[in-house]
Parts: sequence; structure tokens; C-alpha cells
Amino acid sequence: MLSPDLAKKILCEALHTGGDFAELFCEDTSGTTLSLSNDGVEDASYTRCRGVGVRVLCGARCSYAYTADIGEEALLATARAAAAAFPGEKDTTIPLPPFRPVCYETAGDGFSGVNNAMRVSLLRRLYQAARGESEEITQVQCRYMDSEQRVLVINSEGLWASTRRPYTRLAVTAVASDGTESQTGRCAPGFGQDFSVYDTLDVEALGRQAARQAVTMLHAVECPAGTFPVVMDGGFGGVIFHEACGHSLEATGVARGNSEFANRLGTRIAAPCVTAVDDGTLAGEWGSLNGVDDEGTPARRTVLIENGILKSYLYDRANACRVPHPLTGSSRRESYAYAPTSRMTNTFLAPGRDDPEEMIATMSEGLYAKTLGGGSVNPLTGEFNFAVDEGYWVRDGKILCPVRGATLVGKGSDVLMKIDRVGPRMWMAQGMCGSVSGSVPVNVGQPRIRISAMTVGGKGGKIEG
Amino acid sequence: MKYEDFRRELFRLALENGCTAAETYKKEGEEFSVGILSQEIDSYSVSRTLGISLRVQKDGKDGYAYTECIENPAALVQRAIDNALAVETADEHPMQGPQVYPAIEQPEDPIAACSEGERIELAKKLEQAVLSQGEPVVRCESTEISLSRAKVSLHNTRGLAVEETRGCSLLFTSPIVQKGEEVQNDYAFSCRSTDLHSLAEKAVRQASSRLGASPVEPGRYRILLQGRAAFTLLQAFSPIFCADRVQKGLSPLREKVGQTVASPQVTLLDDPFDPGMPLRFDDEGTPAQPTVLLQEGKLCGFLHNLKTAKKNGVSSTGNGIRPGGAASPVGVAPTNLIWQPGTFSPDELVQQLDTGLIITSMSGIHAGVNPISGSFSLLSSGFWVEKGRIVRPVDRITVAGSFPELLQKVQAVGKNLTFSFPGTSRYGAPDVLIESLNVAGS
Repeated sequence: MLSPDLAKKILCEALHTGGDFAELFCEDTSGTTLSLSNDGVEDASYTRCRGVGVRVLCGARCSYAYTADIGEEALLATARAAAAAFPGEKDTTIPLPPFRPVCYETAGDGFSGVNNAMRVSLLRRLYQAARGESEEITQVQCRYMDSEQRVLVINSEGLWASTRRPYTRLAVTAVASDGTESQTGRCAPGFGQDFSVYDTLDVEALGRQAARQAVTMLHAVECPAGTFPVVMDGGFGGVIFHEACGHSLEATGVARGNSEFANRLGTRIAAPCVTAVDDGTLAGEWGSLNGVDDEGTPARRTVLIENGILKSYLYDRANACRVPHPLTGSSRRESYAYAPTSRMTNTFLAPGRDDPEEMIATMSEGLYAKTLGGGSVNPLTGEFNFAVDEGYWVRDGKILCPVRGATLVGKGSDVLMKIDRVGPRMWMAQGMCGSVSGSVPVNVGQPRIRISAMTVGGKGGKIEG
Repeated sequence: MKYEDFRRELFRLALENGCTAAETYKKEGEEFSVGILSQEIDSYSVSRTLGISLRVQKDGKDGYAYTECIENPAALVQRAIDNALAVETADEHPMQGPQVYPAIEQPEDPIAACSEGERIELAKKLEQAVLSQGEPVVRCESTEISLSRAKVSLHNTRGLAVEETRGCSLLFTSPIVQKGEEVQNDYAFSCRSTDLHSLAEKAVRQASSRLGASPVEPGRYRILLQGRAAFTLLQAFSPIFCADRVQKGLSPLREKVGQTVASPQVTLLDDPFDPGMPLRFDDEGTPAQPTVLLQEGKLCGFLHNLKTAKKNGVSSTGNGIRPGGAASPVGVAPTNLIWQPGTFSPDELVQQLDTGLIITSMSGIHAGVNPISGSFSLLSSGFWVEKGRIVRPVDRITVAGSFPELLQKVQAVGKNLTFSFPGTSRYGAPDVLIESLNVAGS
């Protein structure tokens, strides 16, 4: 979308007030979203977002301007707007280094050959599987999205990196009702792949899973409240690490000292059974970067915690100017409307050696959290909370009954030290993570783990028997 | 290609290809924001954006296509038609015709009149005002000034043509306080105001009051929800008042219009004319109008757009909103949803609470609430009160219950309103005294 000559002209304009680094982020993203409920397909919409963001760094200070108008005049004006943050002057007759084009794009046909009939067919299969699972299912809402993001990052150091990121996701929410009460079950897998991923996906199983969860929760009792041991399953259970620790390792907080894990590299922040990894290179995953992050650093695998010892933070260029740290390929943004910053990609607890059955069998009374919902954290204090979508009460080492309405609250630094079991099989689940640079797709993951004590919140049900 | 030509071409192509109507929703945005850290510019952002959403009607169905590039109108029309053909629901979604709109003045904004340099100076002074409060303030996590303005224009082939420029300035600060090893933070913001001192004082007071907090024993407690916690819940549960959710059977209030569903202390009004974020029309061109949802506990009705109104045989309440921004289809959402204030002062309410918890903030609403079942369980903080006196700060507790039940258990409401950030919708609530709620902590 830009010629090298024009790119140079814009970068020089961006640097003319004394900035020491300038960058262009060019994006062209198109996608389609459809939703289907009991009444059939309800909404169908197509979206194309295209624009350019200009970032200027002067030391650790960052200035950002963006525009949807990609004409030469508008781009130069945008560069001037970004430059206006800095009052200095610079000799911009010094030539910029030549661009070294690197294309990280992998072959694939995206969604151009996909029509609405193909999309609707997936939604219908999903709907029918959920609906057919139980007579107590009264409502099913299904949603399909696909998008293909084309990204080109150009900077004043000669970077010219491009990639293509396909995304697609199916989501089903089933509502089970007995006439007076309603409970929901949800399943929403996502992929960093083209439409062909659906050739092998068991769509019906997703619908059935959501429906079963809703029905189970309809017949569940209110979860007891208090402090208990908690066994957390893999997959979306990894949201605990994402919230309790991952956000607090992002440079946004760490580089300003606004994180409970700031200045803790090389020290123990978790129990010895805990190893945690962020890996933006996993092929086809929802949280992967397809080769390169949003400021042109190659994606990589970063060990964050090894056997309980903090090994690395997640760092991007601007924050590394503030506090030096190797770049971790973590710079992400929702779109050209955001300056990038360090974010997670696919973040998970590595597999351990503990027996998944023993974790429950040796627990006297507590919660088995099979599926977790979303959560949030204050990175400064590390206080987090998240919802348990599907939980079971355990007594004397046996699963007694399903429980609803539970939330888990705590502090990241406490909970990491209290992990006392880590199972052998890790799996991941998908989410959208919101922070200063917008909402980005991420994977969370872990094996089944146990936390020796956690605050379980809820309406305080009593379990009989 | 000029926008007017582009729009005309979209309409011509849509009608030529068998659409019965077509509509464009255009949003031109301008934003400026500066973040200050240690008296230096930490972040600086300016933008100009443009987005056009085309909605076509074909065979009685709506199809949407959104773009940020004014080019290739034929491709956009084709996308919209493809989407209309995929839709199956039989519910008609009428398009608005020419209307008469209420005259609304956008409120004065002292910051809008400032130069860029003056704005940056304001943000620096705000940070200084926070830091100068001294102990226990150690620094600011962030301090920001932002100004956004958007011109919304709606046109359709039925003759609708209306536009409005809306905007707001925002000052925000988040102080970090410390006592010994313990670190806490909080935030405060103000809209269209240059009163830096009271903003700084409020932010510091809120953050400082968290120091030394600990949980309480689990149990059922009398609860005084401060305005900030009350609007958080109102925001989280606002979908239960939206007709699209009601018609799908997803609201616990369905089939309860005309019934008393809440305590007489509860009156809820959707007020598009509230000066905090006034609107002349909604995102489908219906003139804005106030709508009473709960009148002293009685459920008077729901919020409607043209589609849900048609289905129920009523008029739109002017709540046809694109909840995800210009690119998303028209749904239903509040404008300014305001829990109407009562007569009690904050102190009087603490006296009435007698012994129990004041909840100052609730967090994690995208995790701990379920608007379908009506239940919530949220990480909360506040104060423990005995015999009308604040004893100590409390945090790391969850407060749980059912929102419809909470509405029935309201015993008193305060006279002061607290408002959320102005976004697609804006929420306001007074302090609310609740008979009891479940609390968990360690």
C-alpha cells in the first residue's frame, strides 16, 4: 500500500522534531460476522478497516497518530501530528538506511473463497447439536466470525516486515431453563487459521458441550463461600495464570514499577512445580503472531517462570527504552488505532508430573473448577477475580455435586506460591484480552492444577450430605 | 471520490440491485490524548478516523457492510446484499423516515477551547496536584487528558438526513499510595471540567482509604453500595431492560411489564437529554426521548429500537444503538441510564446502615455477572461500619446476589449521583442501601 520512497518521506517528516525512531503500521483487515439464534440467522455484517499509524519515540517517550485516509497528504499530516509531541529539531537530510523487506506470510487463501452459505452451515450444525442435547435447552445463540489482517510494519532503521493473520472463531451459548431459572453454558474455540480448519473440527461436539454445561448448572446448587483448596482443569483454567501473573509481567506495568513482580527477576515468585511460557510461534493458534509482532520483532517462545523462578518479562521496544530488557516479540495492538505495547500471545503453564485423579482424591473439601469464565486483575496489587462457569463440590476426595455462582479471588503472588499439583497434559483455550493497546486474541492454557487454598466467593450455599 | 458521491453511488447501486431501501451511517472521529508521567509527556496520540456503515434491505432483511475506504462502492453494496440474503429472521426492521428532532445544546467544554499546549499543561498540573497531596502518595500510575469529537451522519433512501457532532473532554488520574510494604491505587476522572484540585483530592482520598484493608468473615451483611458500585451493577445488568434480549427470552424481567419488580425506592430513567452526554437521535435516526423503565418499583416497559418495537407493536424509544461502534449492526442499548436519586445524604445513609459494609467499588464485571440468570459475584472493596461509624477498610471480598432480588431489597437511596465514563452508553446511580447480600472473604 506504500512505496518505499513515500514511506521514507513520511518517516523523515515524523522524525523532524527530534524523535530518534519512527515507525509506520499499515493495516488492511476485512472480516465477516454472522449470528444465529432460535429464529435463524439474525445479523450478518462485513467490516473492512484500513489505515496507518505513525509512532515516534524520543527516548522512552512515545507519540502516536493514526489516520484512515491513506493519501500522501493525509499521511504526511499524520506524521507531522505525531512529531508535534516533541519540540526539538533534527537534521533529516541524513539518509535513512535502505529497507530490508521480510515477508513472514505463509500461504493460504484466507476467507476469499468462503461464502455466507458455508458460514451459515457451520452455525446451523452448531445450533442443532446444542438444541438437540436436552429438552431443557430453551435458547441457543451461535456466532461465527472470520477476519484476515494484513500488516506491514516499516521503521526508520530499515525494517519492512509484512504478514497475514487469518482468524476464525465459532461461539455457542446455550441457555437451559426450567421455567423460573435460567443458566448458561458456553463454548468458543478460535483459530489463527484459514477456513479449512473447519474441515476437521467436530462442530457438533462444541454445541453438545455448551448444552451439557448449561443443563448441569441448571441443576447445580449455590457454591459454598469461604477459603478452600481448588482443583482447576486445563484449557480455559489457564486464565488464572493470565490474570494472576501474566498481566503483571507485561512491561506496561513492570517498566514503570507498577507491578507486584517488578524488580523480581531471578527470584522465586511461584512454587517449584510452576513453569510458565509465552509462545507466539505456535502454528495456527488463536494467540499466535504469524511470524512477527506489531512492531516488527520476530515472534518467539519466552520462558517466563522456570521451576518457580522468574526468568523474563514481556517487553516491547518503547518500554525497553525505559528499562533495558531483551525484546520478547510481545508488541501487540488491536488495530492501527492503537500504539502497541507488550501483551501476551499463547501463554500457558507447562505440564508437570502429578496424577490428575490424585489431586481430587487427596482433597478433603473444596472446589473442582472444570470450566472458568473471564476475569480481571489490578496489575499493581495483583488482585484478581474470575468466574467459575462449571464447578463441582468435592468432599472426602469425591465429586459430590455441581455448584454454580462461584468466583475465585486472590492475589497473584499468593496463588502462584500455593500451586501444589501440576498435571501431565496441557491444553489451551481462546479468549480476547483487553488492555491499553486494545483487545487482542490470546490463548490461555495449563494442565489440571491444584491450589492449596483460595477465596471462593458466591452466594454461600450449603452442601447437604 | 467525494463522500457525497460515494453515498449517492451506494444508494443507486443498492436500489438498482433490488434493495428496497439503503442507509448510511457515517462517523468521522477526531481524538487527542496525552499521558503524563513524572511531569513529562509519556504518551501522545492524535487521530482522524472515518467509518461508513451501509445497511441495505432486500426481501425484508437487513444486511450490513462497513468500510474505512471511500472506494469501490459496488463491492461494498455486494457485501451488504450477500449479508441480507443470509439473514433468516422474519422480523422486519423498518428504516426511519424524515423526523423532527429536539433541539439540544451540547454542553460547554472549557477544555475544548484550550490550545494543545494548555491541555498538556493541565494534565501536568493535575499530576502535580496529586503529588502535592504528600503522604501516602508515592507517584501517579498515569495522568491523562483526552478530547474526542465525532460527527455522526445518517442518510437513507426514505429521506432521512440528520447529523450531529458530539464530544467530550476527560481528565483522568490514578495515584499510587504506599504505607510500609503495602501499595494501593485508585482513579478518578472528570468530564468537561478544569477543577484539578477536587479531582486530585478525590483520587488521593479514594486510594488512601484502601490502605490497611483486609477481608471480613463470610456471611450475610447489610450493604451500602456507593454510587460507583451501584452504577457498575446497573451497567452490567442493563441488558435485562433491552427489548432484544427480552424478546429472545434472555431477560429475567420478561413478561413482567406492569408488575412491581423492585422496591418503591427504585426509579430508573433512560435520559438521552442528560447534559453529561446529550443526544438528539439514536443510531437509526429516531428522535431521542426519555424512557421510564422502573417507576417506584413498577416495571413500565423496555428499551426499543425500530425492529423490537415493530415486533411488539409499540414505538421505538430511541434506543437503536450500535453497541460495538459504527461497524456493528443496530442493537438496543441505553443512552444515559440513571437510577433516580433520593433524599438522603451520604452520612444519613451510613447511620441507616448502622452495622454492615459500605461497598465503594466492584470490579470484574465481564467475569462475575450473568445478565441471563441475573446473578452476580464480584470482587469488591469498601469499609466495615459499626453503629453508624466507619471502623476499617475492607478488600478482597466478593459480594454476591441476584440483581432482580437486590432491586427488591433496596431500603433507601442517596441524593447524589455518580456517573460512569461516557461511552456508547453512560450510567448514573446514587448511593443505595440494601437490606442484605452475601459476602465471601478469607
